[in-house]
Amino acid sequence: MIAYLVRRILMLVPVFLAVSVVIFSILHFIPGDPIDNLLKIGSSPEARAEMEVRYGLDRPLPVQYGIWLSNVLRGDLGTAIVARRPVADLIAQALPHSLALGGLALLFSTVAGVGLGVIAALNRDRWPDRAIMGGVLLGSTMPSFWLGLILMLVFSVWLGWLPVSGARSWTALVLPVLTIGLGGTALVARITRVSMIEASGRDFVTLLHAKGLSPLRIQLGHVLRHALIPVVTILALRIGWILGGAVTVEVVFARPGLGTLLIKSLSQHDYPVVQACLLMLAMAVMLGTLLGDILQAVMDPRVRAALA
Amino acid sequence: MTFPFRKTLLSASVSLAALMVAQAAAAQEAVFVMATNEVGAPTYNPIKATMLNTATGLIFDRLVSQAADLSYRPWLAESWEEAPDGMSWTFRLKQGVTYHNGEPFNAAAVKAWIELFKAAQGENAYMAEAIASVEVVDDHTVRFVMSRPEPNLLYNLSSTFMGVVEPKSYVALGDNYGVTEVYGTGAFRLDSFTIGQETILLRNEDYVWGPAEAANHGPAKVARLTFREIPEDSTAFLELKTGGVDFLLSVPADLIGEVEKEPNLAILTLPGQELWYMPINVTKAPFDDIRLREAAAKAINQDEILAAVFGGAGAVADTFLISALPESHVAESARIAYDPARANALLDEAGWTMGPDGVRLKDGQPLKVSLWTQSDSIFRRLTEVVQAQLKAVGIEAEITTFDSSMIRDQYKTGEQQLAVRSYNWDNADIVDWFFGGDRLGYPNVSMFNDPKAEELRTAAMTGAKNSDERVANFTAYHEYVLTQFPMAPIYQPLQVMAYNADRLAMPPAIDAPAFGAAAFLDLEVKE
Repeated sequence: MIAYLVRRILMLVPVFLAVSVVIFSILHFIPGDPIDNLLKIGSSPEARAEMEVRYGLDRPLPVQYGIWLSNVLRGDLGTAIVARRPVADLIAQALPHSLALGGLALLFSTVAGVGLGVIAALNRDRWPDRAIMGGVLLGSTMPSFWLGLILMLVFSVWLGWLPVSGARSWTALVLPVLTIGLGGTALVARITRVSMIEASGRDFVTLLHAKGLSPLRIQLGHVLRHALIPVVTILALRIGWILGGAVTVEVVFARPGLGTLLIKSLSQHDYPVVQACLLMLAMAVMLGTLLGDILQAVMDPRVRAALA
Repeated sequence: MTFPFRKTLLSASVSLAALMVAQAAAAQEAVFVMATNEVGAPTYNPIKATMLNTATGLIFDRLVSQAADLSYRPWLAESWEEAPDGMSWTFRLKQGVTYHNGEPFNAAAVKAWIELFKAAQGENAYMAEAIASVEVVDDHTVRFVMSRPEPNLLYNLSSTFMGVVEPKSYVALGDNYGVTEVYGTGAFRLDSFTIGQETILLRNEDYVWGPAEAANHGPAKVARLTFREIPEDSTAFLELKTGGVDFLLSVPADLIGEVEKEPNLAILTLPGQELWYMPINVTKAPFDDIRLREAAAKAINQDEILAAVFGGAGAVADTFLISALPESHVAESARIAYDPARANALLDEAGWTMGPDGVRLKDGQPLKVSLWTQSDSIFRRLTEVVQAQLKAVGIEAEITTFDSSMIRDQYKTGEQQLAVRSYNWDNADIVDWFFGGDRLGYPNVSMFNDPKAEELRTAAMTGAKNSDERVANFTAYHEYVLTQFPMAPIYQPLQVMAYNADRLAMPPAIDAPAFGAAAFLDLEVKE
């Protein structure tokens, strides 16, 4: 098990390096640079060259990459070119907001998704199943940007229950959490339902029935436990995606966070900030995947046995 | 028995009074939404910042302010005088002014501030570049000794970037200045700032030195201002509609109708500082022929665009500068206005004859050109109208749309023929910025590099000793550029804002180029 863990963690190193190269090069191949955002009307034509030298943008790309990577490995994310602040400060301000939003959305999609999935499975092919699965299909296909605006219209404008946007109170979290969480709920509900139906057909379930256990007890006590293994894996994978998926939702609801920071910095071509944000999101996906693998190994006796 | 009764009565009236005070305090608050192009300003340090927002202009006063007609008025400087040779400026400072941290504002503070400004050597340093040194004449008089005449000095001094910072705290706070704490002499002081999210300002109770164009010189009538940053216009509008905020500092054209539908909301407009135009690449055939440039420029029907695309709000543009600038007053013959007869005649003269499908032909080749625009919806809409207007004189323009953040690099290739662009600037040096021969590609999208224009440009940029000479030189430069048709002027939008009319009372007149310090001093909360 420990050898497996070490192997999995070591595998992250080449992935990290590959991700860092991709992030760096994509960003620098996008047309435009931060200097255009810094140059002021009225400044002299020579100012551009001076600024390129000042921010090290005149050096060859591989050299810029080398400097950036070695700084990142030493924990130095650099200073934002346009925003003029240490990138670490900007990230530290944004990250707690993104984690709160992402964490609550994950919690919501887990509870609601597993609950709905179980109800659907227990009522397989009857109206509650069809209603839930229909709703789930709708939820998973709606773009979060649009869903956010619709929720805003209903709960803030028509009903007046919740604030439209911002991060001034906990009530302002409800709509963004719902917007992100509904997509996840759909996924979790679908997987819970399928795994439960699949597990219900196993031999051990027939045995439990033969032993005379009540069907509800069999479903909730035994089948659900089996069915949760893929659900947990999917949830761990979603940790990373939830932070990434929050990008548009943060902008719509005017919330601080990595998404808002990323979009703003991207439009200004503020390389150090964009690189750091993308790196954070990539790391979240990588760590989520790692966590998923580990949880699966811990929970699934077959995987555990294979690793022993 | 009387004592407890009196005590009760007393405490009841005290509570009532407290309640009334609390209500009055609550009523003296207003919530603003920053203009979308001001979202994400990372610091309130005007010396080092690359972008600043409206709140910065309330924290920091400037030596001079600008009125709506773009003339300069006294603010922290009571009066000023420029030496006839332009080599020095003397400013007499207002007395009794203090910074938010209690430090006095005087000649020594101005000297220290200018020295800090120059020492920062950042992107803003050019604004004070012509100031060689600052002399303290007496406690309330300073003299700027110039390295060259700078007739644009007052413009720079009225800029938010030259908000007068308190030098001692600036040095002591280092990189934290403008982020955690900030001290100016403004009508409001910083209470809290969360980058990208919210800024809270509190009234400076000692303030009595407001700019000349405000009716109220201080203190401000509203005690507490909250500035929220909302990047999405539709979200900001819903906040205004539901009473979450009181004022939007920018409203896009497509939401004006929505605001007007609401009985409690009102639109506030000020003359704009923005201008829309169509650059014409003078190096790319067929527009290397001035006749075709003039034809394309005169095919643009500005009045039709004003009415059809912008609902009549704003004004047409017939020069490259906003109408408020004196340098826009060029000879009538230099103005570029819709003239389809002239456009058609020029195209005929250049050998482009009308083809059967409405596209002109020369040597069997159709008159097809590219027309670049950016992805924002208003750009696309306007570009389609421009395309139709060009077609009316036989020029077929094919639209290519680029992402707004990437289009600058596309211009650097120099491959563009026509484009639709806008700029936001209130100084004639914008002509130098967009038509200077050493900025080809971007910002000089027209690739205009003309020896006579360069001569006039040098005279305009550095040849004037005083502001009258600068105006004359820039007018001449601007006028010449117009006669070469490197672009077609189109439209001057208004600045559009929206507010909750039940909550806020606007000043009867706003004699300023933007909703800034003067307007905030006169603004009132109704409830």
